[in-house]
Amino acid sequence: MIRLSGRLRASLIIGGQGIRARKLRTFLSMVSLFLGVLAVVVVQAGAEIANRAMLADIELSQGKDGTRQMYLSPEGRTVPVALEVLEGRTDSVAMTSARAIIGEPGVKPINEGGGPIDQSGGGYGPNMTCDQSGCYPINDGNAGAPEGQAVELQLIGLTGDIRQFRPFRPSQGQWLDFGGEPSLAPRLVLNEEAAKAFSQYHVPAEMRVDGATANPTPQILGVVDDGGYQPAAYVRSDELLNWLPVTSMSGGNSGPGLQVLMSPAAIEVEHILRARLTAAGTPEDRIHVQTVETLERMSTELAIMRWIFLGMAALVLLIGVAGILNVGLATVGERIEEFALRRAVGTPRLLLAGIVLAETLLTGLLTAALAIGAGVVGLKLALTMFGSRFPSLEGVAFPWQAGVAGVVAGLVAGILGGLIPALRAARIPIATVMRA
Amino acid sequence: MTTSPLLVPAALQPPLINLIGVTKTLKGQDQPRTILAGVDLTVHPGDSVAILGRSGSGKSTLLSLIGLFDRPDGGQYLLGDRDITKIPERKAAALRSAEFGFVFQRFFLLKHLTAAQNVAMALVNGQGWLPRRKRKAKVLAALERVGIGHLAKHKPPRLSGGEQQRVAIARALVREPRILLADEPTGALDTDTGNLVVDVLRQATEQGCGLVLVTHDHDHAAKMGRVLHLSDGVLNPVPQRVVV
Repeated sequence: MIRLSGRLRASLIIGGQGIRARKLRTFLSMVSLFLGVLAVVVVQAGAEIANRAMLADIELSQGKDGTRQMYLSPEGRTVPVALEVLEGRTDSVAMTSARAIIGEPGVKPINEGGGPIDQSGGGYGPNMTCDQSGCYPINDGNAGAPEGQAVELQLIGLTGDIRQFRPFRPSQGQWLDFGGEPSLAPRLVLNEEAAKAFSQYHVPAEMRVDGATANPTPQILGVVDDGGYQPAAYVRSDELLNWLPVTSMSGGNSGPGLQVLMSPAAIEVEHILRARLTAAGTPEDRIHVQTVETLERMSTELAIMRWIFLGMAALVLLIGVAGILNVGLATVGERIEEFALRRAVGTPRLLLAGIVLAETLLTGLLTAALAIGAGVVGLKLALTMFGSRFPSLEGVAFPWQAGVAGVVAGLVAGILGGLIPALRAARIPIATVMRA
Repeated sequence: MTTSPLLVPAALQPPLINLIGVTKTLKGQDQPRTILAGVDLTVHPGDSVAILGRSGSGKSTLLSLIGLFDRPDGGQYLLGDRDITKIPERKAAALRSAEFGFVFQRFFLLKHLTAAQNVAMALVNGQGWLPRRKRKAKVLAALERVGIGHLAKHKPPRLSGGEQQRVAIARALVREPRILLADEPTGALDTDTGNLVVDVLRQATEQGCGLVLVTHDHDHAAKMGRVLHLSDGVLNPVPQRVVV
């Protein structure tokens, strides 16, 4: 161990002396290698940032991989049958969707259409309906109403805890409790976009839900990050049904209808639901079930992209390696006497190879340090210039994986560029010094 | 209790190296050429041996065999009582580091290193590790020994030929070798400087080191304890009076 350590130190000391003695050559080698290592760093950093931006919230909105999803159109007895079958189950959750406005009565919401709060223009505009002759605004009572303190959001009714399928991140307060009796004042958990609206506007807490028999007063329990960009609130289905007749959830055009999320093991529930829905008159071809594989699919796509770009970066790196190799071979040719002399004073062949490799490895590492530095500075500049245009770039830091990739690229380039010169150095005949 | 090599006549001490009937044939593009055809040579501690001979007679080849740069084709090579005739390269490197010091006609100093760093080259060679402070002390001691301690920080281009050769001798001595091999060390120096260098080499033998000097200069050879002449691949003793 001590012997190995001594050789390692010796190769580093002599390699460092070699670099200092040939500063210009080392600099030129670094220049030839720089673009390649920088390309690797940039590709890896880009891939990591894209991964974070695209995959971080994917499970919140699309569900965990393996989750079985059933989509049902809200027609006939579909909704009541589904709610009845899934009531009280822990391995499956039904989601209904309704439009709701919370705030001053009789005013137009600040984000008409349920758009993001900060969006210029105040939301998506009035809700529309389309038929064969064209699209028209729905008469939802907002037309002609004065603008006031009210927020439009998507009200999502749940039969159970959805977080087993969509792992919402808690922000404040608490999540819905599905254990106790339903409350007459619907308990809501807001998403962050809705919470933003409620922190910006002091709205009176009256909730208007399309099709509801009256306007209840909601209780807000907490806030979660559900990965959504539009304001939404989650509520127990049974609390929503206190005010919203189940018939008004059927045949309407508010929201995507009914969505059922099931764990992979809940095959029995799926069979029962299919059978009950078919018996209630829902055509078999209107019951769509699919398994969520979004994360895996997107990860695969991103990985393919990453490898394609890394391949291109490797080509650029290869050109740099050729540069180092060229300089290395020329340098060994010039240092034949030095290497022969070192062998004469007892330096083993392995250490001679190690000295040459140490020089190219140190060159590679120095280049990697420069490339990583350039990457960090470049990312900061990019964030300063474009950060405000792309919200997903907010809070992005230089990924450590890119730094590791840069170091690995520098080391690999050093090894590839130094290996052949190292072997040549080790094979220099010792008698060269005698014949000189 | 050990006896100092200086107090016992060299011939009575066990030999440092013993070559018995060593042969070497060079195989080039032409016919194989026998360079050494049965060389016998014994060097004891404190011995100084000069080898004379015409150019191409095989003096440097003999020195490269002694210094384990190359291996003999036949015969036997004993280092102390150990047979190293066919020693593998890895072990030979360790022996070159521990047992031998080399001085060449050209000094082979690295221009980008200081005199001290050039001497330290023999210590930073992967054969054991010395801490920086100990290394520095040994290097300075070696430079002082050859009388140029004050030039430790000078780089070779700023040194004279004699000073450069003395740096090379310090490099050869820094590991305190048992055998010093010098291949025409004065070939590139003027007479006075050459004499100075030979004196420095001779001083090393006074501390028990064996010296084998290959030279063309009869005056320098005459300063050695024994003079041998290499011709037709065989070493023959030359009487001192003939040398002078």
